[in-house]
Amino acid sequence: MADIYLVGVGGQGIITASRIIGDAAILAGKNVLLSETHGMAQRGGSVVCTARIGEVYSPLIPDGQADVILSLELLEALRAVCKASKKTVVVSSSERIVPLSVSTQKLKYPTLEEVRRDVTEIAGEFVSIEASKLAGEAGVPMSSNIVMVGALAGTGRTNLDRKHFEKAIEMNIARNVRENLAAFSKGFDALSRKNRT
Amino acid sequence: MLLLGNEAIARGALEAGIAVATTYPGTPASEIGDALARVAKDAGIYFEYSTNEIVATEFAVGAAASGVRALVSMKHVGLNVAADALLTFAYTGTRGGFVLVTADDPSCHSSQNEQDNRYYALLGGIPLLEPSSPQECYQMTKEAFALSEKLELPVILRTTTRVSHVRGPVVVGEIVPGPKKKEFVKDPKRFVTVPAVARARHLILLERLREASKLADGSALNRTYKIGTGGRSGIITSSAAFNYVMDAAKMLGMSADVLKLGFSHPLPTHLIAEFLKTHDSVAVVEELEPILETSIRAVAQHEGLKTKILGKADGAFPQAYEFDQAIVASGLVKAFGLRGEIAKTVSVDLQNLPVRPPVLCAGCPHSATYFAVNKATNRKAMFASDIGCYTLGVAPPYSAADLLVCMGSSVGTAGGLAKVNDQPVIAFIGDSTFFHAGIPGLINAVHHGHKFLLMILDNRTTAMTGHQPHPGSDKGPSCCDITSVSIEEVVRGCGVKWLKVVDPYDIKTTTDTVKQALTQNGVSVIIARRECALIVKRDQKGAILKKQYIDQEVCKKCRTCVDKFQCPAISSVDKVQTIDDASCAGCGACAQVCPYKAIKEAR
Repeated sequence: MADIYLVGVGGQGIITASRIIGDAAILAGKNVLLSETHGMAQRGGSVVCTARIGEVYSPLIPDGQADVILSLELLEALRAVCKASKKTVVVSSSERIVPLSVSTQKLKYPTLEEVRRDVTEIAGEFVSIEASKLAGEAGVPMSSNIVMVGALAGTGRTNLDRKHFEKAIEMNIARNVRENLAAFSKGFDALSRKNRT
Repeated sequence: MLLLGNEAIARGALEAGIAVATTYPGTPASEIGDALARVAKDAGIYFEYSTNEIVATEFAVGAAASGVRALVSMKHVGLNVAADALLTFAYTGTRGGFVLVTADDPSCHSSQNEQDNRYYALLGGIPLLEPSSPQECYQMTKEAFALSEKLELPVILRTTTRVSHVRGPVVVGEIVPGPKKKEFVKDPKRFVTVPAVARARHLILLERLREASKLADGSALNRTYKIGTGGRSGIITSSAAFNYVMDAAKMLGMSADVLKLGFSHPLPTHLIAEFLKTHDSVAVVEELEPILETSIRAVAQHEGLKTKILGKADGAFPQAYEFDQAIVASGLVKAFGLRGEIAKTVSVDLQNLPVRPPVLCAGCPHSATYFAVNKATNRKAMFASDIGCYTLGVAPPYSAADLLVCMGSSVGTAGGLAKVNDQPVIAFIGDSTFFHAGIPGLINAVHHGHKFLLMILDNRTTAMTGHQPHPGSDKGPSCCDITSVSIEEVVRGCGVKWLKVVDPYDIKTTTDTVKQALTQNGVSVIIARRECALIVKRDQKGAILKKQYIDQEVCKKCRTCVDKFQCPAISSVDKVQTIDDASCAGCGACAQVCPYKAIKEAR
């Protein structure tokens, strides 16, 4: 049983990330339910997908119940914190997509340290990784989402094997499969290294 | 395989051997049509994105009345448009299986209301199936076709956002192609609904519904689940609410019997009476309107049963917005007087977190249009808006929407606004929406001499729902040969004398043209034509466009580019305005907006 709450900004590839998680679960022989945000997903708004692996009926994750919150954007990690509790690990990309409200309503975009402080008040753990830099190093700068799937696998909280994720990436990514697998690997290592230290 | 609920419906329809599928795109139904568009050619079926939902329905009626199977899908409000055809088609009945999918949107995730379309089943006397999962979407679509042919009635398959947009494992079967052609056998005493025919057919419809009720009583789609040890507490539920009931009951550790209704109209009255007789109290858990609850109370009254029935009437469950596990758990605690503790959620103060609503994209031509209109009118105008991406212009800085009710309403409401207000009135409508429902309004305006400016925001696609083609598109899906219909010719054909076409990226010309239009008597039309920036980006057609940057030495920090114009690529942090090179679409609108010419083409 693993509840994964994925958040980000429309256009970041969050639905693809959720499908990879879904296929990995199916490859591992587990039941899985995903919920997707469609319609306005490409219009730059906050986007939520969920993946629940195990015997559940609804794909919605009750507040405080997420095992992992996977955020493709720093501010969105904080916005998702209602789904966290002490059992939750929050993994966020350090990428900042400044919403228009920061410019127009003169609101403040929080710093990494502020996000860490506020998230860890509720969640068990907060880890940030430079997903976009790692994706660039892998040769696919647009594949931060794949780096983040790697990071999710690296948390060890999904009970799915690495090979299932890798196969699922091959099933869902049409171009630059090798580079995307490298992106996955970089995300995986970033998290599993953190787990060791 | 893992399928989205909507994809599972498409798969079920293919396995049922449909000959014809039609739709008008709308969230959360769009992926049904999109999935069928992709495979239609290979599957040998006919698919079309119709001009609107009633045309889609009528087309399917023509095919199904002839004897082939037809699927028509739409979002909930689309059925308001299609209802005129559907409700009388229930009178004539069908020969080939006819299934209409309505995808409802509790909580209005992407909609202008959260109407409960189960009422259409009651209103029209139409059998109703309600799946809860992708597997059931697949299975019930197949069963809906069989049921439709058995009863010779149209069948409604009703989903919600949390059914249509759930992806889960689906075990599928073989695709067995059905007949693609059938000769329509003439039978005017059945199919031509003049009053004498309609009166006779209504009785036949009512007889069929009695038969349908018996089928519902014996249907495997209506089944009982035991939670814990079962017992004297019962729950009757359907659709997505069933999922929350099962999860919530587990969270609460309660015991109950659950009657899940998959075939919910006509009501399986005997099944429900038996369930009521064998339980002391029964909670009815359904999203939105208390439709099951009211009918179940009527069954209890009819049968003289004293079973306690709990639901919305007692305030245990809300009548607005979608449910989730917590809402259902709290409702069950109230309904059954459980002492279970619902885990308290941590409350975090996110009040000051910068909000991130959906916005017009970088390079969106609508942004440039709205900027130009605000400049031309000095914001002294009334804006009748319509349904599409451009509705997002309601937000500041444009505030370019004052009245909106439904598809096509911009044109009709503009006439009324203009008649009783002294300010200039501008109606905004998208290209797809204009074809869908804008044309009768325009004809009315010409005919009666209403004075307003209609701006047709033509981005060459149905953008909000995923870039489906419309009658003005040059290219259809791979399955269809299409002929592009010219918006200009339609507008002129409606009798409009003053028509101009502008490129919204040219802000000065657009501004001047709007000013000119507002001096006209009667209805004037401007077509603001520029392809959707997302399509340009996707197809890499942006080579001709030039990325922009802000020359900080020239920039006077006047904030015009963020306060009067809006582009997600432009941000203002610590009083410095910058353009994010990766997001910039290179439209160059911002360079025309800047009063100090500080925005320049990047080399």
